[in-house]
Amino acid sequence: MKADSSSLIVLKRLLSSVLAATAICSVSAQESKESGAPFVVEQIDPIKLSAQRAALSDLTGENPFILRESGWTGIIKPGEARLVQIQLFRRNDYQFWLAMGDRKAEMNLNIYDGEGQKIDNEAITYDEPNVVSTRLKPELTGVYYVRISLKTTIEQPQKWSMIYGYR
Amino acid sequence: MLTNFLMIKHYLLGVLLAGGLQTGFAEGPARINLSDPNLVIVGDSVIPIPLEIFASLDKLGAQNWAAQVEKRDIVLDTNRSRTAMLFGLIVSDGFIAVQAEDKEGVKRMGREVLRLASSLGVASSVEEHANSIITHAGRGDWAVVRKELDRTRQTVVDQMKELRDEELVDLVSLGGWLGGTEALASVLKENYTTEGSDLLNQIDLVKQLNSDLNSLPKRARRGKLFSQVAQTLTHLESLMISDETGAISEGKVIEISLSTRSLVNAIYES
Repeated sequence: MKADSSSLIVLKRLLSSVLAATAICSVSAQESKESGAPFVVEQIDPIKLSAQRAALSDLTGENPFILRESGWTGIIKPGEARLVQIQLFRRNDYQFWLAMGDRKAEMNLNIYDGEGQKIDNEAITYDEPNVVSTRLKPELTGVYYVRISLKTTIEQPQKWSMIYGYR
Repeated sequence: MLTNFLMIKHYLLGVLLAGGLQTGFAEGPARINLSDPNLVIVGDSVIPIPLEIFASLDKLGAQNWAAQVEKRDIVLDTNRSRTAMLFGLIVSDGFIAVQAEDKEGVKRMGREVLRLASSLGVASSVEEHANSIITHAGRGDWAVVRKELDRTRQTVVDQMKELRDEELVDLVSLGGWLGGTEALASVLKENYTTEGSDLLNQIDLVKQLNSDLNSLPKRARRGKLFSQVAQTLTHLESLMISDETGAISEGKVIEISLSTRSLVNAIYES
């Protein structure tokens, strides 16, 4: 893989924040175990971090994705779905990464056009089963819908986080 | 045989590089009824940053982004709603300067970001990003500057939400979108192509911005300037209608350019 120095700096910063956040999560969890206090992570969303970790390999190389700082988050029950509306632009490639809290969570990530018609897309899965990703090259500029759904293979509602990048 | 071997080798290499990544077809209904009242649409809207749009236009050929970089004097007043829109505009100016690789333009914008953030009461959370923008612009590290600009915008938005200044969040987004759209329409006006014009097909986004503006408390959108903002958004809704190929006519592109330009001037000068 070839990466220019700027890409490496960006990747280094993202890795640093992921590592720092992981360290904070570990410390907080340890403190929580010892004190019996609720597990609270200030300003850091470990589920978003899972999505960011999955994205790392797509942020370098000759044609890397540029990760947006914005994203979406929420809670979803098994068997339910959520729609995220987003404006996309023709000629760009987009990639979405979705993560949920429980490693046993199985989910689908689909993209629909402005008329509600599903666009064939491949689900990219990772070693962590609770992370999934998909890519899209829109044929038209306009509004699209990303559909997130949680399968009934798990009983507990799940916190979810989705991020995206473009190139 | 050799071809098969190479294909398998490439596949395995790809899997290893991606850290165990696999692909398959995603399940999901073939069609969804968007007017179904039971659909749950996530409320947080993410507004595209100008660079997302510029990236698409640049795939049609090099554009003259340098002509869009402007030096403007900003006179602040006590109207925080206007300051929030100015903040969004300045960040979008930063994105334009990054696209033009204009080091001085980006550094100047980094200093203005800090000044506006101070006025909005969120300087401490932005300072690190603004300094990073100035430092890396001097070195021409555009990927880092681009990241820091997006991070600055998001930090201010998050900080405002924490401070329960949520009404200003929508105005930051509106200012950012407006600045990017003005630059895009201006570039398209100078070098019109039907292919490029489809980037202005943003009618649903404008409707969303208009709806967000109308849902703000009246005290946050008082005065002549905000009447002009509402009128311009409504006018843009009528202009950003594409034909069946997705294209927007040259006449409409010119009108979008003039309307957005007029509103940007009004925000800076009011």
